[in-house]
Amino acid sequence: MSERRPDLAALLPALFISLCAAVGLGLDSYPQYVIAVAIISMLVGIALVVLVGLARCITLAAGSIMAIGAYASTLAVARLGVPYLVTLALALLAGGAGGWLIAFPGTRFRGHNLAMVTLVFQSVCIILIREATWLTGGAEGIHVPPPQVFGLAVTSDWSFLILIGGATALMTLLVTIMVRGPFGKNLQAVASNEIAAEAFGVSVRGYLTAAFVVSSAAVAFAGALLAPRVRILDPDSFGVLESIFMLAYPIVGGMHSVWGGLLGGGGLRILPELLRPVADYQELFFAALVILVMMFFPGGLAELIRRGAGLLGPHRERRLKSVAPPRALLEPHAVPVESGHRENELLVVECVDKHFEALHAVDAASLRVPAGAIHGLIGPNGAGKTSLFNIISGFLAADRGRVTLAGTSLLERRPRDRIGLGMTRTFQNVAIFGELSCLDNVIIGLGRNAVMHAVGVSLDHFADGADTQRARQQALAALDSVGLGGHPRSRAGSLSLGDQRRLEIARAIVSNPRLILLDEPVSGVADAEAEELRHLLLRINAERGVAMLVVEHNIPFVARLCRSLSVMGAGRVVAEGEPAHVISLPIVRQLYFGEQVTA
Amino acid sequence: MLGQLGFVVLAGIKFGVLYALAALGLVVVHKATKTVNFAHGAFAMLGAFASFLMVVSWQWPYWAAYVAIPLVIGLAAAAIELVILRRLRQADMFTVVIATVFLGIAISEGFRLTYNTELLAVPSLFSGPPFILAGVIVTRDTAWVIGGALLTALACIALFGYGRLGRGMRAMAANMRGAQLCGYSVDGVYMLAWFLGGVLAGATGVFIAPVTGVSVDLSIAIITAGFVAGVIGGFDSPRGAIVGGLLLGLAESLSAAYVSSAMKSCISFLLLFLVLMWRPQGLFPERSGRRV
Repeated sequence: MSERRPDLAALLPALFISLCAAVGLGLDSYPQYVIAVAIISMLVGIALVVLVGLARCITLAAGSIMAIGAYASTLAVARLGVPYLVTLALALLAGGAGGWLIAFPGTRFRGHNLAMVTLVFQSVCIILIREATWLTGGAEGIHVPPPQVFGLAVTSDWSFLILIGGATALMTLLVTIMVRGPFGKNLQAVASNEIAAEAFGVSVRGYLTAAFVVSSAAVAFAGALLAPRVRILDPDSFGVLESIFMLAYPIVGGMHSVWGGLLGGGGLRILPELLRPVADYQELFFAALVILVMMFFPGGLAELIRRGAGLLGPHRERRLKSVAPPRALLEPHAVPVESGHRENELLVVECVDKHFEALHAVDAASLRVPAGAIHGLIGPNGAGKTSLFNIISGFLAADRGRVTLAGTSLLERRPRDRIGLGMTRTFQNVAIFGELSCLDNVIIGLGRNAVMHAVGVSLDHFADGADTQRARQQALAALDSVGLGGHPRSRAGSLSLGDQRRLEIARAIVSNPRLILLDEPVSGVADAEAEELRHLLLRINAERGVAMLVVEHNIPFVARLCRSLSVMGAGRVVAEGEPAHVISLPIVRQLYFGEQVTA
Repeated sequence: MLGQLGFVVLAGIKFGVLYALAALGLVVVHKATKTVNFAHGAFAMLGAFASFLMVVSWQWPYWAAYVAIPLVIGLAAAAIELVILRRLRQADMFTVVIATVFLGIAISEGFRLTYNTELLAVPSLFSGPPFILAGVIVTRDTAWVIGGALLTALACIALFGYGRLGRGMRAMAANMRGAQLCGYSVDGVYMLAWFLGGVLAGATGVFIAPVTGVSVDLSIAIITAGFVAGVIGGFDSPRGAIVGGLLLGLAESLSAAYVSSAMKSCISFLLLFLVLMWRPQGLFPERSGRRV
C-alpha cells in the first residue's frame, strides 16, 4: 500500500474553534462571554449542516432539542448529583433519542410534512417542559448550579471559555470526521437521488434517521454546554422563534460544508451583540438577511470566502496516483451457489406476472441470462420491458412468479440487498450523485453502505486507513476502465451526458458484480458516442466476465452488442434467440411494423 | 346540558370554518406550485391587522374592509412571488419553503415593531340581538362569520374547480412541462395561485379579527391550524380542507370544554400525528389519476 495521507483538513474546524477560545482568554470578561456563546452556536451550525445541508431536511425543532440537552444535564446535576462531565454524555444520548423520535414518523415524508412534524415536536416539547413544573420549575425556570469539573467549580468567564472551547472542539472534530467521510457522502447521495442510493445499498430511511440522531445529539450537547452559562434555564429561551433562527445558521453560513455551519452559527450569534443599540429590529434584520442571502448568495458565507480565496491563488487539486489494481480486486463476488442450481444460468426469470388494475403489464414472462452473457430485452413501447426490469431490480413487486440470481430468490429482497448478491444497475435517466466527485460516486458503488459501517469507515477515512485506500484503488481502477481515470476529483454533475453514463457504468462495475442491469444505456446519446459505449461494454464484459441484461430501444445498438435477445409484446415474451434471427422473425416484425403474419 | 353542548359545537364550527379558510389558501398555493407557504399565517395576520387599521383607526365602513383587504393581501402575495420567490424557484423547492418560513418571520416582526402592543381588539360587524336556534344562542356575528367564511370558501372551490384559472393551476401541478406546451405560462399561473392564496389569507384575517383580536401569535396559530386542517383533508383537496378545518375546530372546542385547555393545544398535534402515521393521504384524498 502507498503511504498514508490522513485527512488533515478535518482537523481545521476544531483547531479554529480552539483558536477562538485561546484568543478569548486574553480578552475582557464580556468578550469572553460572547466568544463562549458564539462557539456553542458554531457547533449548532455544524450540526444543522448535517441535517439541513447534507440530508436536506428542514428542521424547526433545533430549539427544543437544545432544551432537551440543557434540561437533561441540569436536572441530572441538580436532582441526582451526577458529575457535570457525565451529564454531557447524558445530553448526547437524550438529544439522539429526541432526534430518533422526530425521525421515526418524520422520515416517512419529506419536504413540508417533515418540517411540520418538527414544528409539532418543538411545540409539544416546550409545552411539556412548561407544564411539568414539579420537575423543571415550569415557566419560572430552574437555577443551574455552576459545573464542577475534576473538583473545580467553573464560575469565571475564562474558565467557562476553556470548558466550552475544549468540549466544543472535541465534538466538532467528531462531527467533521463523519461529515467528510463516507457517512457524509452517503447522506449527500440520499439527498441527491434516493432511488440510485437505494440501488447501491444506501438505506434512505436509515440515513435520514441517522442524520437526525447525529445532528440532534450534537445540538443537545451544545445545549448542555450552554445551560450553566445562562444560569437560569427557562423553556421560553428555546421557543419556535429560536429554532427558526438556528435554521438560519447553515443557510447564511453555507449549507454544504462544516465551515458554513461554523461561520453561520458564530456570525449570527455575535451579530445581536453588535446590534445591541437597535436590539428591537434584530429579528426583522435576521429574517431579511436570510432571504437576501438565499436570493443573492445561495452558497452563503463559506462560498463567498472560497471564491475570494480562489481569486487569490489557483485552486490546487490533490493529485491521485492511479495504479494498476492487484488481480484480486477484479475477481467477481464469491456468492454461494445454492444446490440444485444449474451452473451456467445466472439470472432466471420464470412466469412473472404483474397487473396494474385492468392492465396486464407483464404476462407470464420468462427469460434466462447465462453467466458472462450479454442479453438484450427489446420490444415496442408499452410491451412491459420496464415493468419487468423494475421487478428484477426490485423497485416493483411482482404479483406472481420467480426471479433468481445464481439460485438465490430475489423477489422478496429489497433493492438495496441486490448489490450484496452481485447485481447492480444503471438508470435510463442518468442517476449520478451530482454534488459528489466522480471518485466518491464510484466508491458508493462498492455497496458497503450500511449506516453503522459508514460511521466506522469515516474514522478510517480520516486516518486514510487500509479500507479507505483499498476502496480508492478499486474506484480508480473502475474509473480507468471506463476512460474517466483522468479526473477523479471533478464534480460528477459537471460531466457531459456521455461521461455521466460512463460514470454510471464505473459505479455499476466497481463492486465486481456478476450481473449488471443496463436501463437504456444509450438513450439521448449521439451515434458516435453510442458506438464508443458499445465497445466499452464489450470490453468490460470480456475483462471482468460480468453478465449484462440490456433494455434498449436502439435496435441496431442492441443487435450488435448482445449475443441473444428476448422480445416482449403486450406483456409476453414472444421471441428469443440470436439477434439476427430474432429480428427477422415475422412475429417481431409484426410487433414493430404492424406487418401481417403470413403463416 | 344540551344547551352547553350546542354552544360548544357552535364555537367549534365557528373556528372550524376559519381554519378551513386558512387551509384552503394553503391548499390552493400547494396545488398549483407544490410549495407549502409557511408565511400564510403571517399573511392572515396582516389581513387582521389591516382590518383593525381600517375599521378602528381610520373609521372606514366595515364592508370596505371585507372587499379591500383580501385584494390588497392578494396583491402583496403576488408581488412577493414575483420579486422574491420566482428567483428562488430556480434553485429548488427546498429553498422556497425555507424562504417562506423567514418571510413569515419578517412580516410578523414588522408588525410587532409597528404596533408594539399585546392585543388589538376589533369590533364585530353586527351588534343586534342574537337569534335563538333550538335553545342555542347564536349571535349575529357568529352567524355572519360561519356563513360568510363558508360562502367565501365555496366560491373559491367553484372558481378552482370550473374556471379556466383553476384548470390551468391543476394542469400546472400535474405536469408543468405539459401545461406549458398547452399555452399556460408558469409564471402567470404561479402568480395567480399566490394571489388567490393571498386573497384567502386576507379573508381569513378579516373574518378572524373580531373573533380573536390581532396579535403576533395569530401568525403561528393560523399556519399550524391551517396546515393540520389541510393534512387531515388530504393536502391537495379543497373540499377536504373544509372538512378538515371543521373537524379540527370541533375537536379543539370539545376538548377545551370537556377535557382541559392544555388538551386543546395538544389535540391538533395529536390529530396531525395520527393522520400522518395511519392515513398520510388524508381522509379525503383527491382521486389520483391512472398510474402506469
